Amino acid sequence: MEIAPDVRTLLDRQFYLLRIRLSIWWANFVQFLNELRQHPLALGGGIIILVYIFCALFAEQITVQSAFRGNLRMRLQPPAWLEGGSWEFPLGTDAQGRDILTRVIFGARVSLMVGGLTVGISILIGVMLGTLAGYFRGKLDSLISRFADLLLAFPFLIFAIGVMAFLGPGFTNMILALTFKGWVEFFRLVRGEMMAEKSKEYVEAARATGQSHFAIIVREILPNIIHSVFVLGTLRMGYMIITEASLSFLGLGVPPSLPAWGSMVAAGRDYMLVAWWVSTIPGVALLILVLAINLFGEGLRDILDPRLKVEG
Amino acid sequence: MSGTELLEIRQLTTVFPTRRGEVRAVDGVNLRLKPGQLLGLVGESGCGKSTVLLSILRLIRQPGQIVQGEILFRGRDLRKQSGKAMRAIRGKDIAMIFQDPLSTLNPVFVVGEQIREALRIHHIVSGPRWPWPLDIAVRQNEKKRVLKIMEDVGIPSPMDRYAAYPHQFSGGMQQRALIAMALICGPSILLADEPTTALDVTIQAQIMDLMRQINQSHGTAIILVTHDLGLAAEFCDTIAVMYAGRIVEQGSVDQIVTDPQHPYTEGLLACRPRIQQREQRVQPIPGNVPDLAALPVGCAFAPRCKYARELCAQVSIPMFSVEDGRFSRCLRHTDFRIEPHLGWDEIVRL
Amino acid sequence: MRVVKILERLLATIPIMFGVAIIVFFFMRLTPGDPVDIMMGQGGAVSTGEIERLREEFNLDKPLLVQLWLFLKDALRGDLGYSYILKRPVTTLIAERLPATIELALGALLVSLLFSIPVGILSAVRQNSLLDRLTMASSFLGISMPGFWLGIILILLFSVRWGWLPVQGRISADLKLQQVTGFFVLDSLLTGNRQALISSLRHLVLPSITLGAPVAAVVARVLRSSMLETLRSDYVMLARSKGAHEWNVVLKHALRNALIPTVTVVGLQVGILLGGNMIIEAVFGWPGLGRMVVDAIFNRDFPLIQGSVMVYAFTFVIANLAVDVMYTYLNPKVSL
Repeated sequence: MEIAPDVRTLLDRQFYLLRIRLSIWWANFVQFLNELRQHPLALGGGIIILVYIFCALFAEQITVQSAFRGNLRMRLQPPAWLEGGSWEFPLGTDAQGRDILTRVIFGARVSLMVGGLTVGISILIGVMLGTLAGYFRGKLDSLISRFADLLLAFPFLIFAIGVMAFLGPGFTNMILALTFKGWVEFFRLVRGEMMAEKSKEYVEAARATGQSHFAIIVREILPNIIHSVFVLGTLRMGYMIITEASLSFLGLGVPPSLPAWGSMVAAGRDYMLVAWWVSTIPGVALLILVLAINLFGEGLRDILDPRLKVEG
Repeated sequence: MSGTELLEIRQLTTVFPTRRGEVRAVDGVNLRLKPGQLLGLVGESGCGKSTVLLSILRLIRQPGQIVQGEILFRGRDLRKQSGKAMRAIRGKDIAMIFQDPLSTLNPVFVVGEQIREALRIHHIVSGPRWPWPLDIAVRQNEKKRVLKIMEDVGIPSPMDRYAAYPHQFSGGMQQRALIAMALICGPSILLADEPTTALDVTIQAQIMDLMRQINQSHGTAIILVTHDLGLAAEFCDTIAVMYAGRIVEQGSVDQIVTDPQHPYTEGLLACRPRIQQREQRVQPIPGNVPDLAALPVGCAFAPRCKYARELCAQVSIPMFSVEDGRFSRCLRHTDFRIEPHLGWDEIVRL
Repeated sequence: MRVVKILERLLATIPIMFGVAIIVFFFMRLTPGDPVDIMMGQGGAVSTGEIERLREEFNLDKPLLVQLWLFLKDALRGDLGYSYILKRPVTTLIAERLPATIELALGALLVSLLFSIPVGILSAVRQNSLLDRLTMASSFLGISMPGFWLGIILILLFSVRWGWLPVQGRISADLKLQQVTGFFVLDSLLTGNRQALISSLRHLVLPSITLGAPVAAVVARVLRSSMLETLRSDYVMLARSKGAHEWNVVLKHALRNALIPTVTVVGLQVGILLGGNMIIEAVFGWPGLGRMVVDAIFNRDFPLIQGSVMVYAFTFVIANLAVDVMYTYLNPKVSL
């Protein structure tokens, strides 16, 4: 343990506090990694996710072929391990003669971006509204809750398809369509937790010391419930990615110019009889990513929040 | 020797494998029960007394296992019975009452049907056994018996309560329903596992009264498992005190209460609060219940015992016959006679 | 008594349905582009007078709130408007397609429950056995598998490679089936058409499996974990102490209690059954509501989209109500 440095200036003090906070965070993080080692499946999932993120970030650098322009003379080449395949196109080519491996790697961008952004924005909206509704209750709460109940009357995918129908295809519209209903679950989680936490002694104590509502929410309550939010977020991310792929499969997703796994599967359907790999391989990439995310999410839940055991 | 015995348990040992090694929840227990006898099995929680009861019915949860001993019911060893024969005994000849009535009653079935279940399983009411809606005749007769027994155990207006769910019963009524369930087939042995622990004191007295009536009117032998020596002393003829999986003292109620031989029994008696003697303070037994996974070779009570000598923790202590029908597992009795039939050779494992 | 309460709950869904209708209505009006322009899109040159007449006919010349009022009034009468493209009432179009969708959803539900309930029970009874491990692993796969992809794989294997089952459609094209209810399986039973029954069942197999797989995965997992809990309970011990046979203990005492949390989860899956329907219908060329909606989206046929989404939402609300009713039936501690 270090000795506290002279508290000469406010800046020094702030800096000192920040360092303490950082070291606590670091210790928590190290402890989390240690616990993760007890869950080999979750650890494996986490590593696979990191590999996908790496591929998405450095897609240009790690690929040789173009993801967008194909060579029609090289169309529908089989994967390397099949007869007639070559290592030039390790996973074969599609109907336009584009390298499937390259397109799959680029496709990780769309899926991860959609998954990350929709879940991120949903968490942001859900936590904000859930906090307002659960902490302050009142008219605002009943208003938001009513609206949330209304949104819950729509099955998720159908709502997303409906919104896409009206907004038209496109990356931004996709994010909009998925978050339009995606925040509701986080809202309900945070609202419930807020109401439960608010009646506990430590909140009473914080209020007795004269802290503002904002400070109580941000410093006292949120750190206690954010775990559950992260766990739910991870578990929802897989579903969001599947939904994005489903929409792209129907042609309602991201524009065809962007390589997305869902639209790649759809494009390969016409060649199912002659070239099965065109539609199956992007699906495998999708399956592995979602599987990894779900495994990681399950492990996360076991470590962070064993109470959250309801599946759905 | 065992001719008059209804139930005789010899050298019963039940173990549970745990991560820290094998736990002997019941270790070499000997018990005898005559028809109509009231036997109390007393000890702190976790000493293995409930496991004895479950072992008798062979209902030890996996991966727990009876590894040794004989359980002779009317001369037949229950450990050697087939699954089918065992099921025929459960509920019919030997029935059990559990500790927490609310969690023991199945929440999704009406109480009356739960009482009727044992009748149906054991085909107590004779008649043609048609499949379900056609078995009306038998069902009506069974229902009559259920209503009768509900009345016997003191459930008011049984007609209305038959179709009620467990959560609509009070705690006392739930326990009465459980007793009705255990009695419906007229068992010769009733195993009562802390039947009043979850209840209010006044209800407790009613339930114990009810059990005494049952014993007197039906001649049902009862093994009462409890942590409350006072309760056992009031209710039973014979008491066996258990500590850390072993019986440490056994004898008639009078002997045990007036002249405890084992230091643990002494301790139990001293820490019993008595209303009449308010100025006298309750004396708790020092220390904690021992860790069953790491028991000493010798007496498990030695670390808490004020009489303990060096030898106590080092040698396995046998059961000493103090006087007729009176046993104690303590080195203080080394000058007493040793009864060989109790399996001295088996117990002493140095 | 129970019927009255169910009716009460049914009445309580009316405000929700109104809210759903309002949301759908505003979404449609927020869409860029004039519906009449879209309608006339294919027609080419049309006179201004004709456009005005159409605007009047579809009430597009009136203020938005009046339009909403008229829309709600019509919807209450069961009139969901007129398809721009197919030139037929939306209600009729939906009524034609809905049986196919419901048939598929029910088939999927049946397949998933037939599979998941025994497997969930067995893997709980034999915890940590090979079966249990396999179940858990495949249920994880089932949850993570995109439905459209699974459908394609199944078609590739069972239809293309081995040729055991048909690739798409509801019934062989050469079979004549007199329609009574629109449910082909039911119709062929009613008309005693054995060939049609076999054909429609064969067509149902792959889509039902595809749609039911994620549901089966979730239900098996939940049932397993709730069975593990109920098998450890005191009332199961009591049943054993009465001399009940182990299977009686498992199937009666433990299962009845484990079904309570499971039903809630099945209810959550209804949304997946309905939403997944759209995708699976596209994969298997199933002539249901979902495929019509997707076509309508590409044709920008807004009244049809609007009406279909409302019908989906309504079906969803009713299905959830049914699950609630079942929950109260299973759990005596809860009343509606």
